[in-house]
Amino acid sequence: MADISIGKAPHPIAVLPFYGTGALCFAALAILLFLAADELTGHHFSPHLMAIVHTAALGWGTMVIFGAAYQLLPVICERDLYSVPLAVASYFMLTFGALLLVWSFWIFEVGTVMITGGASVVIAALLYTINTCVTAARNQRTTPQQAFIVSSALWLLITVTIGLLLAINLRYTFIPRNHLDLLKLHAHAGLAGWFLQLITGVSTKLVPMFLLGKSKREWLLYAALVLQNVGLVLFLIDGYFNPITAKMLIYGGIVALGTFAWLLYLADAYRNRLRRKVELLMRHAAISFTCLIVGFALIPVAYYFSDARWVSIYGTFLFLGWITAIILGKTFKTLPFIVWSSHYRHLNGKVKVPLPKQLYSERLTVYQFYLYVAAFVSLVAGMVVDYTPVIRMALLLWIMLATVYVVNVAKTIFHKPMITDGDKTQ
Amino acid sequence: MEIKLNDPFATEMLKAQTALMQVIDPELYVNIVDLGLVYGVDFTDASKAKVTMTLSTPGCPMGDAIIGGVENAMGAAFPDRKIEVDIVWEPQWNYHMITDGGKAQMGLE
Repeated sequence: MADISIGKAPHPIAVLPFYGTGALCFAALAILLFLAADELTGHHFSPHLMAIVHTAALGWGTMVIFGAAYQLLPVICERDLYSVPLAVASYFMLTFGALLLVWSFWIFEVGTVMITGGASVVIAALLYTINTCVTAARNQRTTPQQAFIVSSALWLLITVTIGLLLAINLRYTFIPRNHLDLLKLHAHAGLAGWFLQLITGVSTKLVPMFLLGKSKREWLLYAALVLQNVGLVLFLIDGYFNPITAKMLIYGGIVALGTFAWLLYLADAYRNRLRRKVELLMRHAAISFTCLIVGFALIPVAYYFSDARWVSIYGTFLFLGWITAIILGKTFKTLPFIVWSSHYRHLNGKVKVPLPKQLYSERLTVYQFYLYVAAFVSLVAGMVVDYTPVIRMALLLWIMLATVYVVNVAKTIFHKPMITDGDKTQ
Repeated sequence: MEIKLNDPFATEMLKAQTALMQVIDPELYVNIVDLGLVYGVDFTDASKAKVTMTLSTPGCPMGDAIIGGVENAMGAAFPDRKIEVDIVWEPQWNYHMITDGGKAQMGLE
């Protein structure tokens, strides 16, 4: 056998808890949004909005992405995952840390609980970064996708470390800078460093794979890598030493160019695809990328208009639009495979086994898609006109959406093995 | 997977092809023969059957499931032979290796 790694799905324990907990956090996020409906268009530095943002960023986004990354690292790095125990440890640290942080923000108790939560998340990020870097380092060939995965992990570590310092600073002030300006640096290190670069790396591997498409313009990915990082580094350095001014929009523009290069690569793969019909789950990706583009367009709006709701709308497009849409779409393109692998890997070719797509309900994914579109559009509309009854109604749709998603994730995770031997189904 | 009628092992090859068609790539929902993943089967050693094949991508998460499937299916078809699976990366698999039947199953044509 050739001396090259044959793909082995990691043990489900390194993946499934993240999806399950992420789904529950998504439901919690929808409920918290509903409870704070009348505060959503207010200033972002409020206890409830901080709790909501951290539920979205850590409990929902990062939680599911950790699980997906542990599953996909072997695909992207062409090597087995370095350590399952490290992955499990990162799950406990992230869950514990996210719970403490969200709780302490919600009741706004600065001090030990918030700092412990922040420290726990830093440890989770460190464990994830070690696992990612060692897995990637085992492959001597470096692909742009690998570079994105590693850089995003490092940005995560930077983001949560800044977050921990800010949590300490809230209790024991020691940073000689405006806390709200630092919060912007923390948030954008997470958005443009962790989420953007991770999604760039993973999507440029998965989207062509699912569409059976390819692009020869790999240079676009290197351009994306450089531009996204240069823009972000300039923003962080300038933003730390100087007040946040309109100059920062230039750095946003550089990151936007890097994002444009990435989307051009995906568009090229889409044009050169064999699979002409685009599945419903892939349409979530299209919505996600559209929300990201709108998010970039909203940066100058949020900067120049003093009305706080534009910052909230900007955050909504990024967390509930871009990140949520991509997770909703990709969950059922990834999760069923790890479950299938654990139940049926050894039975393949021996007896008739169900396909991964039969492990979840396709009908529920249809409901999920339309509920998501309705929930997102109505929430944004409610926030633009700043009318709480519409926001509340939209958030009821979010709760319904989260319920559908949780049920489908649970159906997949708790799938009971079913095999057909001849005419008998067991 | 090409089978020549003048091949001394044509019967075994046909049997192997039938067996390998039971092995599905769970990602693409198509059997590995129609996907063009199987490059050949060697029966020259009477004690074993050696399957030379590739995967759609190195690090494919379904890799060991597919290899296990090949061992299961071939083991059932040739219980007297030891089954060996040789994974190669040259020639590299691409979408043009999918048979017309495979493309039809994937709804590509």
